[in-house]
Amino acid sequence: MRRPELLLPGVALAVAVVLAALGVMVVTAQESAVLVKFINGSLPVDPASPLWPKPADVPLTSQTLVYPLAPAVENRAVSVSAVYNGTHIAFLLTWKDATQDVAKPGGLDVFPDAVAVQFPVSRAQLPYICMGTVDNPVNIIYWRAGVGVENLVAGAGYGLSPQQREALGLQTTPTSPVELLPDSAQVVQAYAVYKDGAWYVVLVRPLGSVHPLMSSLADDFSAAFATWDGSKGERGGLKATSGWVQFHLERPIFAATQPTQPAPTATQTSATTVTQTYVVETTPAWAWVVIGVLVALLAVVAGLALRRK
Amino acid sequence: MKVRAQISMAMNLDKCLGCNTCTVTCKNVWTNRQGAEYMWWNNVETRPGPGYPRQWENQDKHNGGWVLDGGKLKLRIEIKKDYKPPGLDDYYEPWTYEYEVLFSEKQTDQQPVARPISLIDGRPMDVSNGPNWNDDLAGTDLLLEDPNLDPLQKSIYTQFKDVFMMYLPRICNHCLNPSCLAACPRKAIYKREEDGIVLVDQSRCRGYRYCVAACPYKKVYYNWKTGKSEKCILCYPRIEAGQPPVCALTCVGKIRYVGVLLYDADKVLDVAAEPDPTRLMRRFIDEVLLDPFDPDVISAARSAGIPDDWITAAQRSPVYKMVKKWQVAFPLHPEFRTLPMIFYVPPLSPVVTTFEQAYGAKITDVFPRVSELRIPVKYLASMFTAGDTALVEQALKKLIAVRIYERSKNVTEPGLADKAKQALAEAGLTEQDAEEMYRLFAIARYEDRFVIPTNPKRYANQPQLQRGVAGLP
Repeated sequence: MRRPELLLPGVALAVAVVLAALGVMVVTAQESAVLVKFINGSLPVDPASPLWPKPADVPLTSQTLVYPLAPAVENRAVSVSAVYNGTHIAFLLTWKDATQDVAKPGGLDVFPDAVAVQFPVSRAQLPYICMGTVDNPVNIIYWRAGVGVENLVAGAGYGLSPQQREALGLQTTPTSPVELLPDSAQVVQAYAVYKDGAWYVVLVRPLGSVHPLMSSLADDFSAAFATWDGSKGERGGLKATSGWVQFHLERPIFAATQPTQPAPTATQTSATTVTQTYVVETTPAWAWVVIGVLVALLAVVAGLALRRK
Repeated sequence: MKVRAQISMAMNLDKCLGCNTCTVTCKNVWTNRQGAEYMWWNNVETRPGPGYPRQWENQDKHNGGWVLDGGKLKLRIEIKKDYKPPGLDDYYEPWTYEYEVLFSEKQTDQQPVARPISLIDGRPMDVSNGPNWNDDLAGTDLLLEDPNLDPLQKSIYTQFKDVFMMYLPRICNHCLNPSCLAACPRKAIYKREEDGIVLVDQSRCRGYRYCVAACPYKKVYYNWKTGKSEKCILCYPRIEAGQPPVCALTCVGKIRYVGVLLYDADKVLDVAAEPDPTRLMRRFIDEVLLDPFDPDVISAARSAGIPDDWITAAQRSPVYKMVKKWQVAFPLHPEFRTLPMIFYVPPLSPVVTTFEQAYGAKITDVFPRVSELRIPVKYLASMFTAGDTALVEQALKKLIAVRIYERSKNVTEPGLADKAKQALAEAGLTEQDAEEMYRLFAIARYEDRFVIPTNPKRYANQPQLQRGVAGLP
């Protein structure tokens, strides 16, 4: 007689255990990280500079879109290398594009080639990969050929009161989930070269944050990438995106131990760039355990209620 | 029945003299800025001709409007997977002249010449195309590009004795089923509930140009300077104050009439998906557009929150009379399935009387019969009624009957009174109709042509909650 009464809580407990185990597995999934090389001096803005470390290839896949837009069907990649110094960080983004599409006066049917880098604003938990959510926004650097570079925030807009928005220097009423940060936060510089069927874009921004909705990159961080191929009419959601990629800041110990070394030695250290493994933090393990226990408790309560009947 | 009110316009093409005053005043008010030089929110096309942008009616090329796909409405851009907007070649490169040279040139044997220079980048250019190029001497070869010309009869139209022309002024049609709106992934385009004006929210627009590709009338334009798209706003700040749009106000021929039309929002999608385009056209007038004198319509309008002064305005509306009561005004290309809300009274051709011998016209009377008109009815039907020639013929008959009737009042000629009676009967008009039509078409005053109620602002009764939107700073 006791057995059926115990069955329900038993099943719930088993499910909870499995969930907790899965959670631990997800949390401990390992992914390679890109090393951000430390440079003691000014950062390179020339894509051909020898200071750039060996790039990491980040795969991009076309974003799935719904009516009335057509989904693009192709896979491509963007090569990423990054350097930083005490104040700034620079990314070199390189990707193949057979046609150079640059916005120009009177270019009514021109869609510029473009690239974007997305960072989590908060460090607590990785935001939703598709441009964040209301409670977990992302900071985006968006460069378009012939247009320039913008420092944007996505996701935050509709989660803030008009007062909060005014205090942040944003328009009182949001008009879009993606918005320009105020002028004081437009602190990103871009240097672009198109050569031999490929774009070479250098993006330089301060290492720290200058706005509450801008990410600080002063510690290890995550980033995601997207490119647009203008000749295929790609604009807006028609783009190819990556998953989150981990970036690890090379500790400036080199600089401390070799303070008298001139800049050229940096080229030697570039060969030492290694790929390291880091934990991707999603939902923490303890959260899964708590969820499991709660589910079990609910099941016990349900079982007790059933027995009374 | 879900009643909505829309500010609508009717243009009497019979009186359009092609002066482009509407075009120029619109330009000076709204698009006189960099990035907008090539935009003509209002333009007047000389037809037959390719129109502006070139061949906008040819949807095989421009992919505008809706098509039926298995009985369901779908955007043509989506069916064809072609989202490309027209390029500057399809419009034209806007230019000005280097006028400074006329003052600064040193004295020589020749007069100084103000060369054309591009308004986009300032370099000298050769003018090879324009917004109504077929009306310029250089562009007559474009005439046969008109998609409305019957392919079999194209050569006939160019014979001197059969050649014809008319003017077609165009603005945004502020459609009931706008394909530009449907194509925007950012929801930057909206149709105002209170007056049906279709607008592009400049703060939401990111310049993707799906709307430009999807509009079958090509009346959304991309501003390369701001990186956003723009269109005719029906001069809504003026409309809200009860004033006509600038194009209508300044019209020299007084061809434009502005008023309220009531429509049934519940019927829009059903009628837009009507398989037979000519039936679509008739159902649009009969079912979607409502009779503002019908007590059921009035009570439904009241419960939908339409103010009484708007209902009264709908009853006095000149557009209602032309479109619904007399059925002499038609939408432009209803077969694009957007249910356009700008209407056209088809033109009678130039009245030819005594030059029978010279031009070979078969004239039977002072006023020709519909079958004897210079502009082929088929051509008009291709533009305004999805090919339904009977509708156009009936409208033209009415217009001619009114003229015969008015002539009979002023000319003593044996049998003319009988002839007038017969013409009215054939056209299905009473003498009272004829009087009213004559007043509205020929001698209407400002307050007859423009019956525009002021905006109730009922959506802005809590302005503190709507800062930054609804036109509130």
